[in-house]
Amino acid sequence: MIGDALAWILGAAVVISGVFVVASRDLVHAVLWLALALLCTAGLYAYLDAPFLAGVQVLTYVGGVATLMVFGVMVTRRHAAAAAEAGNDSNVVGAVVALGVFAVLAIAILKTDLPTSTAPTPDTAELGRTLLDDYLLAFEAVSLLLLAAVVGAVVIARRRDVEARTQDDATLLPTMRTGAD
Amino acid sequence: MSVVVTALVTSLSILTAILTVTAWAIWFERKFVARMQSRLGPTMVGPSGLLQPLADLVKLLQKEDIVPEAADRRLFDLAPKLAALCALGAAAVVPFSASIVGAKIDLGVLYLLAIGAVTVLPVFMAGWASNNKFALLGGMRALAQSLSYEVPLVLSAMVPVILGGSMDVSKIVESQIATQWFIIGPVWLGLPAFCLFMLAMLAESNRIPFDIPEAESELVSGVTTEYTGMKFALFYLGEYVHTFVASAAASALFLGGWDGPFAPGMHWMVLKTFALFGFVYWVRWSLLRFRSDQLMRICWYWLVPVSVALLLGAGAWVVL
Repeated sequence: MIGDALAWILGAAVVISGVFVVASRDLVHAVLWLALALLCTAGLYAYLDAPFLAGVQVLTYVGGVATLMVFGVMVTRRHAAAAAEAGNDSNVVGAVVALGVFAVLAIAILKTDLPTSTAPTPDTAELGRTLLDDYLLAFEAVSLLLLAAVVGAVVIARRRDVEARTQDDATLLPTMRTGAD
Repeated sequence: MSVVVTALVTSLSILTAILTVTAWAIWFERKFVARMQSRLGPTMVGPSGLLQPLADLVKLLQKEDIVPEAADRRLFDLAPKLAALCALGAAAVVPFSASIVGAKIDLGVLYLLAIGAVTVLPVFMAGWASNNKFALLGGMRALAQSLSYEVPLVLSAMVPVILGGSMDVSKIVESQIATQWFIIGPVWLGLPAFCLFMLAMLAESNRIPFDIPEAESELVSGVTTEYTGMKFALFYLGEYVHTFVASAAASALFLGGWDGPFAPGMHWMVLKTFALFGFVYWVRWSLLRFRSDQLMRICWYWLVPVSVALLLGAGAWVVL
């Protein structure tokens, strides 16, 4: 009973913070709203009896991805420039596309006869065993893919780094402008 | 209903205990450091200055709340509250004895690590919202440091998880009681993992020698530069509580929790936690801080490879 109410509150919080992510003018605010949305999603996972997923969601998305985004904003933007116009000329088109996607998903979900399982959810130990036993090949393939992506990112960043070292150094310290310049 | 009441009472008493302990831990630190530096420390308020924390609290409550004009008002106000909240939230899963634990959840270790990962966001918020170059630089450093040291912290915390075969902190302690403390079981695995955990924990809570986010000699006081009165006090509190909870977590994960050579019980857990806590302050007042680049080098060149090796070692030990 209390759990159901909590789920509704969490769901509402996800939607509201999602709206603020696109509506805030300040980029940093947008990222922080995104962090809140991700946190509430983790709460929903916990409500749905998937505590491991909830924990990992917080650890990687809120602690990792949101933090990295914030870091990116901080090293690339000046304080004043962080407040950007949220909308642009494609507002109407964007809204139509978003509504269309929402309609398709909603209809698909409503029309599908989703199985309601009463079986107990597997615990974390079982999850680990399944991943490293039945799906070992897929698991390793995914880690290889991620490794390739990381190496690729480093290669790209390195090349630009060498070309524009001086420029990068200047942009690293966004608000360190003094009276001299 | 009685479950809710029990949970409420337990968590309230743990919360009160931690806050009280933190207040007098600050007194202890000041006395301890004063002795190290041939000073007396607080002596005026109460016997041996024992009432100094209360006097400090009254003083902080009276201070004017100054908010910079160009600050991001809402974020500026929110950050200290979130910082204290995150630090206290982590205390929920630390078992002080077999029965005294705020929340017995299966994934206690994961919860601890997740809360630890979120803790950096309020610090960044403070740094950004202050609109001050020192605060912003402090926030940037805190973010970079926290992101990097997250990796060895998580990996070294996985060693007791693998050895104990559970992510429930209470179960990890129980399996240590059944066999031996993980710091010595086996010692080539436990001791380095324990050291790594403590190091990464010091870095996560921005403690010397990893306190470049608030390096006084270069950044005034980092993210808290613009904060006054109670808002500053909340950051201060959060930092101490973070260190305290992390010491408690380390005692539970590596030092056998409430287990002891005789009469096991909560007193052992408290003793171990205070010993680690005292150690952190000993280190804090003995060492210098690392430079930013040295900090990153230590993390990625040394701590991460070693923690990966330890993780593999733990797996091998359990399998073989």
